[in-house]
Amino acid sequence: MKAVPAASTVEVDGEYRLKREGTSLQWNIADESALEAALRLKDGDGIVTVLTMGPAKLEAALKELLARGADRAVLITDRRMAGADTRATAAALKAAAEKTGPFDLILCGRRAIDGETGQVPGELAAALDILCVSNVERLEKTETGMRLFRRTENGVQELEAAGPLVVSMCEYAYHLRLPGILSMRRAKSKTVEILTADDLELKTGECGLKGSLTKVITMEAKYPGLRKGPKETDLSKATEQIQAMLREVRP
Amino acid sequence: MKEILVLCPHGVDGGLLSKAYALSEGNLRVLVLEGEEQTAEGYGAKYIHTIKTTPPDEAAFAGWLAEKIQSWGSTIVLAPATIAMRNIMPMLAWKLNAGLTADCTALDMAGEDLLQTRPAFGNSLMASIRSLSTIQMATVRPGTFRPVEQKANEPEIIPESGPAETGKVRELSFTEFAGGKPLSQADVIIAGGMGVGSKEGFEKLAKLASHLGAGLAASRSAVDAGYAPFRCQVGVTGVTVCPRLYIAVGISGAVQHLAGMSGSEKVIAINSDPKAPIFGYADYGYVGDWETIIDRLLHLEEETL
Ligand SMILES: Cc1cc2nc3c(=O)[nH]c(=O)nc-3n(C[C@H](O)[C@H](O)[C@H](O)COP(=O)(O)OP(=O)(O)OC[C@H]3O[C@@H](n4cnc5c(N)ncnc54)[C@H](O)[C@@H]3O)c2cc1C
Repeated sequence: MKAVPAASTVEVDGEYRLKREGTSLQWNIADESALEAALRLKDGDGIVTVLTMGPAKLEAALKELLARGADRAVLITDRRMAGADTRATAAALKAAAEKTGPFDLILCGRRAIDGETGQVPGELAAALDILCVSNVERLEKTETGMRLFRRTENGVQELEAAGPLVVSMCEYAYHLRLPGILSMRRAKSKTVEILTADDLELKTGECGLKGSLTKVITMEAKYPGLRKGPKETDLSKATEQIQAMLREVRP
Repeated sequence: MKEILVLCPHGVDGGLLSKAYALSEGNLRVLVLEGEEQTAEGYGAKYIHTIKTTPPDEAAFAGWLAEKIQSWGSTIVLAPATIAMRNIMPMLAWKLNAGLTADCTALDMAGEDLLQTRPAFGNSLMASIRSLSTIQMATVRPGTFRPVEQKANEPEIIPESGPAETGKVRELSFTEFAGGKPLSQADVIIAGGMGVGSKEGFEKLAKLASHLGAGLAASRSAVDAGYAPFRCQVGVTGVTVCPRLYIAVGISGAVQHLAGMSGSEKVIAINSDPKAPIFGYADYGYVGDWETIIDRLLHLEEETL
């Protein structure tokens, strides 16, 4: 699960990293879908672990996820991890998954609304050398594995997959439940497990900016779409002009 | 100039091939489906590798690609940012120890380096990115570049056996969305927002879209209100589109929506509120009731049928 800035504008620091401290954070919407999918899949004896990487203050937000029904919460937090690109992020998540697992299934959101790369699930799967099915909007257990409904550009693919896998979920596929009385009570006695780079046996060169294989060289705050074209209030003219523009595109 | 490899195993992306042709000065290697050799040739590809089908096990596909790419010696690898390639490229990047940039909207060469530009955080930031790895990889937003046909380069066509079937992932069925072309491929998109006001209103937009062969899109609020299905949602939590013409009807222009459409070639906004933010992002703004304009357009379209 990734915490993303709740505001619709962001600031960057001198190294072009999104400033996360001091801004209010919320869970990424697609990741909430992933957690709810996990909670629905778990049988009476299943265990759902939530794993995030971010600032130490996320501990409280993770506690809330325990109250919503997660059984374990793990937070990777270390200054050295800051500025990680998707590869360095996947490397950290892989190490944490191996340390806290084994898991039968790893669910992620298909992309985050801040970075919007959608690359971490695939890189994580490759790092763990397991399958990855992306853009899933529904999933269920079968006798031999999982049945997954994957939304593509032009339709929905129904897939069956066997073996451990990473699944990335679409936004709004499942709505995350509210905290329940029982899980709230259970959550009280639980603590969030904290992992640092040392706990994960990651060297400084493998973490954060240093462990990244892409480098942001410039970042400009701008709206590339800003056009400020002329405004017309005469609606007959409007119709004529729109028709002309349509004809240009499809002669 | 450095050779560029473009992976299009799910269908040729002419715009991307054209851009790669220009950046590599004709040093273009591609992987396409069998039967698309001529299309690839038309965009100037020099080496055309073909496979018969794309396997449902995308992890195995990525593994196969990694071996092939090493044997071809490619150091710049591009793919269209389709749903499938956005799953395959990260797995491939990991295996090749390569940096990967998602969903680029501009590419340039600086010597041997590929400069990758992509919007982040709802298009409010444009980041320019360089890879630090030997192999440089990026996915490119479909529709970003215009296709430019080239004189044939007398390409070498190399049929490949493709990855072995692993049986780990099977496709049981595929249900196509009604209404034809995916939004990411539509030349014209008509998008409705809360201003359209009802499901009936959206039916009018759908009717006009179908007359025009256009795609129908919607804002999140309109999807939430049940006017249109979720797959029509454009924006940070929906799809990103860049058609030649985007007509925003009764959409206010929230940043989360702009993120999904502000790369369109031309934008028309129809909104009754002259202060609506969408006008700032439109090439042509029409201030007034959407229904009056759409009814007239429908009428004209039906007359010409
Ligand atoms: C985390 C997050 C993610 C989001 N993701 C998305 C996303 O992916 N996509 C998205 O679209 N939104 C998204 N949103 C929602 C976004 O913030 C806006 O709320 C939404 O886009 C507004 O939709 P709208 O423009 O249709 O509605 P409104 O903002 O209500 O605008 C309706 C417009 O219609 C005009 N109008 C009214 N009557 C008429 C008429 N008769 N004729 C012409 N015009 C008329 C009004 O002037 C107004 O400008 C997200 C929000 C959050 C917080």
